[in-house]
Amino acid sequence: MIKLTINGLPVEVEPGTTLLEAATHLGFPIPTLCHMEGLSPYGACRLCLVEIGTAPRSRLVSSCTYPAEEGMVVRTASSRVVRARRMMIELLLATCPQSKVIQDLASAHGVNQQRFKQEHEDCILCGLCVRMCNEQMMAGAIGFSGRGERRKLGTPFDIKSEVCRQCGGCMYVCPACQLRCTYTEPDKAVCGGCQNLQPPCLEKEKFDDMMCYMSPCVACEIEKR
Amino acid sequence: MARLESTQDLRQLAGMLASDKDGTRPRIVICAGTACQASGVNEVIRIAKKHIIQKDLHGKVGLRITGCHGFCEMGPFVLTEPQGAFYVHLVPLDVERIIDALVEGAVIEELLYTDPVSGKKCRTVDEIPFFTHQQRTLLGQNQKMDPIRIHDCIAQGGYGSLADVLDRGDARWVLDQVKASGLRGRGGAGFPTGVKWEMLAAEPSRRGKFLVCNADEGDPGAYMDEGILEGNPHSILEGMLIGAVATGATEGVIYVRAEYPLAIKHLTIALRQAREFGLLGKDILGTRMDFDISLVRGAGAFVCGEETALIRSIEGKTGEPRQRPPYPVKSGIEGKPTAINNVETWANVPVIFRMGAKAYSRIGTPGNSGTKIFSLVGKIKNTGLVEVPMGVPLGTIIHEIGGGPSGTARIKAVQTGGPSGGCIPADMFDLPIDYDSLASAGSIMGSGGMIVMDENTCMVDVARYYMAFLKDESCGKCFSCRKGTQRMYEILDDVTRGEATLEDLDLLEELAVVVKDASMCGLGQTASNPVLSTLRYFRDEYVEHIVDKRCRAFVCKNLTGAPCQAACPVGTEAWRYVAHIRRGEYEQAYRVIREANPFPSVCARVCNHPCEARCRAGGADGEAVAIRALKRFVTDRVDPSVYVPERIDDEKLRGRRVAVVGAGPAGLTAAHMLSLRGVKVTVFEAEHVPGGMLRTAIPPYRLPHDVVTKEIEALIDGNITLLCDRKLGRDVTLDGLLAEGFDAVYLAMGAHKSRHLGIAGEDAAGVIPGIVFLEAFNVKGEKLATGNVGVVGGGNSAVDAARTALRQPGVKNVTILYRRTREEMPAFADEVEAAIEEGVKLVTLVTPIEVLSEKGRLTGLVCITNTLGEPDSSGRRRPVPVDGSEHVVALDTLIVAISESAELDRLVEGWSGIEAEGTERIRADRKTQATGRPGVFAGGDVVTGPNTVIDAIAAGKKAAVAIARHLRGEELETPATRKLPEVFVPPIEDASADPAQAKRVTMPAILPDTRRRSFTEVELSLSEEEAIREASRCLRCDLEFTRPAAEKASGLPPVEEQTA
Repeated sequence: MIKLTINGLPVEVEPGTTLLEAATHLGFPIPTLCHMEGLSPYGACRLCLVEIGTAPRSRLVSSCTYPAEEGMVVRTASSRVVRARRMMIELLLATCPQSKVIQDLASAHGVNQQRFKQEHEDCILCGLCVRMCNEQMMAGAIGFSGRGERRKLGTPFDIKSEVCRQCGGCMYVCPACQLRCTYTEPDKAVCGGCQNLQPPCLEKEKFDDMMCYMSPCVACEIEKR
Repeated sequence: MARLESTQDLRQLAGMLASDKDGTRPRIVICAGTACQASGVNEVIRIAKKHIIQKDLHGKVGLRITGCHGFCEMGPFVLTEPQGAFYVHLVPLDVERIIDALVEGAVIEELLYTDPVSGKKCRTVDEIPFFTHQQRTLLGQNQKMDPIRIHDCIAQGGYGSLADVLDRGDARWVLDQVKASGLRGRGGAGFPTGVKWEMLAAEPSRRGKFLVCNADEGDPGAYMDEGILEGNPHSILEGMLIGAVATGATEGVIYVRAEYPLAIKHLTIALRQAREFGLLGKDILGTRMDFDISLVRGAGAFVCGEETALIRSIEGKTGEPRQRPPYPVKSGIEGKPTAINNVETWANVPVIFRMGAKAYSRIGTPGNSGTKIFSLVGKIKNTGLVEVPMGVPLGTIIHEIGGGPSGTARIKAVQTGGPSGGCIPADMFDLPIDYDSLASAGSIMGSGGMIVMDENTCMVDVARYYMAFLKDESCGKCFSCRKGTQRMYEILDDVTRGEATLEDLDLLEELAVVVKDASMCGLGQTASNPVLSTLRYFRDEYVEHIVDKRCRAFVCKNLTGAPCQAACPVGTEAWRYVAHIRRGEYEQAYRVIREANPFPSVCARVCNHPCEARCRAGGADGEAVAIRALKRFVTDRVDPSVYVPERIDDEKLRGRRVAVVGAGPAGLTAAHMLSLRGVKVTVFEAEHVPGGMLRTAIPPYRLPHDVVTKEIEALIDGNITLLCDRKLGRDVTLDGLLAEGFDAVYLAMGAHKSRHLGIAGEDAAGVIPGIVFLEAFNVKGEKLATGNVGVVGGGNSAVDAARTALRQPGVKNVTILYRRTREEMPAFADEVEAAIEEGVKLVTLVTPIEVLSEKGRLTGLVCITNTLGEPDSSGRRRPVPVDGSEHVVALDTLIVAISESAELDRLVEGWSGIEAEGTERIRADRKTQATGRPGVFAGGDVVTGPNTVIDAIAAGKKAAVAIARHLRGEELETPATRKLPEVFVPPIEDASADPAQAKRVTMPAILPDTRRRSFTEVELSLSEEEAIREASRCLRCDLEFTRPAAEKASGLPPVEEQTA
């Protein structure tokens, strides 16, 4: 067993336990976007940052990927952590303001404005869908390409995937929520899964005002525009 | 060649090769590194080979083609052995002469390297300062071997360290040696190499271990690894083999970027040869040790230099960093233990064993041992690769090895460590270069890139450039790094366009700190450094972009517009009147000039033309358009009455009264601009005549008195009352003026008091302050100089005094004494040139220390000779007196023209609320010129100290605006706006003329012999043909801004934007 201290509380965990798991075990809330039980840790969204070590040599690491080490001192909500986390949320809001998940995060952390130029992207590249597709659905239909600004999500060479079974798993896990239903146009297809899971709101003529089971989702709003 | 079966075989071969080498046989050594190949060395090599074959010189001259020697600025170059002659900047055919001379043991003088400081030819390579200040442990090997010949390498002791290590066969000993050497990773982070190896050695070896050479050198402007990879690939292989002995590694990988084709070629050859010799592969040198190295080519992602990303890339996956721990040393390639070191680290390993760990650890400073290679590029004379011991001050590299700035502009900062590094300002150049000092200065060692920046570099633009690089090269996995770099770039871009706010600057800093904190890998954690370090040292430049809408380096296009206009203190649209001259529209040209400047004819003669200094035609090797000469052409030709100034009737200003003290350019400009708005201005002038320095200090051969008089007369209208012989403090007082009912007072008395030398005997008769001397002549016609005349000083008033003295009867000769060299003289270069043409003697590097006199009458001046020392805060090299070099200069007249100041001492009474710096300058707001006392403004030389005419006019213009606002009861300060070219003047396309090729016109002047005794104007006017030809050299920087707007208005399609 590994002994460590989180926010002053001693805790013992199995080797291989991540800091996120250890902190959650103690009941300390740590926000995440790119983490999901059952999928491998990735460390992309940088929301689960915690401070490890003691000043002045302390540093921030993503708790979802950092393994617990013997004698570690961890703080999950130090001012440095909070400052970084709030900035991450502000950047998320500036990128993807329409996401309910992000709006809720912002509200929970008291971020009520963003100071950058407003963008309306529909993906934060958290990679949940990629891992879902690879690790749980064993399809490997989608992945990342490009780097930096040009990094994007898609099927190889952006053509319709032959290995995609249109399970809809990618859409289910997407926190940006847009991905779930905006890709009905074949040329934008990520994997074509959405053709399988057509949200009823898009076919209002047929289904009239049926309750949407994809909540939260704003696809119908977009379609109306 | 047969395989070497033992270390004994290797030693035997090395001994054989070394004795076989005939040291006395002449040989020419040609650097064929990538940089020299780019400067055309391949043709030189071809000619050399051809010449040797044709002349049948095989036995007499050897030829060695090597990797980079480091002095890339001088390429293509050739080194001869054993002479050591260093021939630079060769054209292919030169090499024939060099070979012929070498055969005869002769040297071709004119092709040798010239030391730019002393101007002397360096006969051997050991005399070249660039090399003598270095310690070239690694790079020095390059010139001794042809990288594709393993025999060359073995002859130079290559693989000797490996043989020693294998003979000992003790891994522990090897580890201890590397640890004792104190070698730290040269990739940038500086992790102790021995410790890393020890960790790898401790890992179980069942599944195999990896050693990796990180040759993914991707920093813009850095190529030190390339120099080793190309020039001495075997040193890397040897280092890795020693590493394998120490750690028990079985496989090696060299990860080299595909953009280094020559390095890949040389590495491939080296690996093949090493295998053939039994130095790689199974049973190395018969010791049963197995180790082989493979080559992996990187596909060009910068992030693959990060070790975890590099591992993934070697595995064939996307180059994306992952969380450490586990560290590669535990779990690296394919999950096996892996140690990754940089090229230079590996190349250092054999050196440790060659010279001994102790000796190695003594190079550099404790904790930072060994040498480090830097790639020195940017605005520096000697571009190239330099190798110095750690701990050498940055200044040594910049000034001694680098030779100082490449142009005339001062060096402002050095960027170290590539995109992840930071900028270190020039005042910190005594910083020792080691891992820790650089980190504490906010930069990093990085792999050793060093980009020198001068005053023509905009630091915001630099930060923006690096951020553009990083936002493209971030892998994009961490949201903080991907979006952070993108957003930082966005803000920086806004700043360079003048569209950011001060709040954005705070946000930028806040974001930069978080990106540094929150990102996973080294790229993200250092991505903020360019921003944070420029903000730390150059925040004023950021603020200037945002608040003043100005880029002082004239780099940011959207703030600069046309550089000539941006450089002009009064904002004259120089491009516009030059364009009108090109079209033959001289009256329009005059109106453009006069609109901005009430003294066009004066400025056409004596302006220091900052516009020309910034003219883009003058960039690189070109010559600036002669804008002042063109102005002279227009003002000589056009009648001033074509311009009728616009009068604005403003009921809040009509009839209000303003007093202006001083009828110089600043005061008269303010008076004129105010009078146009209906203000009643009274100008008080201390002298008999108006004009200030224009009349009293500038000699008539430069600026005829009638030109000044005419120009002033044209400005005086019904709203202006000019009262001469009224001196502030003597005839009027400030309190008196305000009590008399003036609503505002503008103080523009100028700086008319010459500074003293502050040395013994200065009160002797015959010692004359510069301004007194010039005023006496210009106003009263008194000729005070006689006999041998000395002028102390290096500014314009010194040169004016010298040339005026030369023209006075009874003067035998005139000597200017200046404490630095001619290059550092603040006077206009043209004026100095003209003075020397006329016969003024210029003696530089002397400082007067005592005035000698007999019976109170000057007889001579004791001077001491100086040499130039380290640069001072102004960036000019400091004069350092040489002991015992005192000497006497016999003089009958000594004119002291070192500087001028205002004469405030007699005025201070009744100045309540006005601040002054001593008795020399009045303190006034930089933008509004308001003093501490409401309603009192001050500008021109009385505030700035001695300054240019155009700056005084600009001060007057600004004052008029601020005074008008004061009279209207408004806030004095107005927010700055961008001033971009607006009016479209259609260009005349002339396909036959290439503006880049045409020569700058020379200003016609009367001959030195005729002019040296006369006070008639020296410079003449251009002919119409000359003027039009000169105007056609203008590059029309304005069109980029004016043409699109004009075409939009006329409905024509916009010109396609050119992509850079």
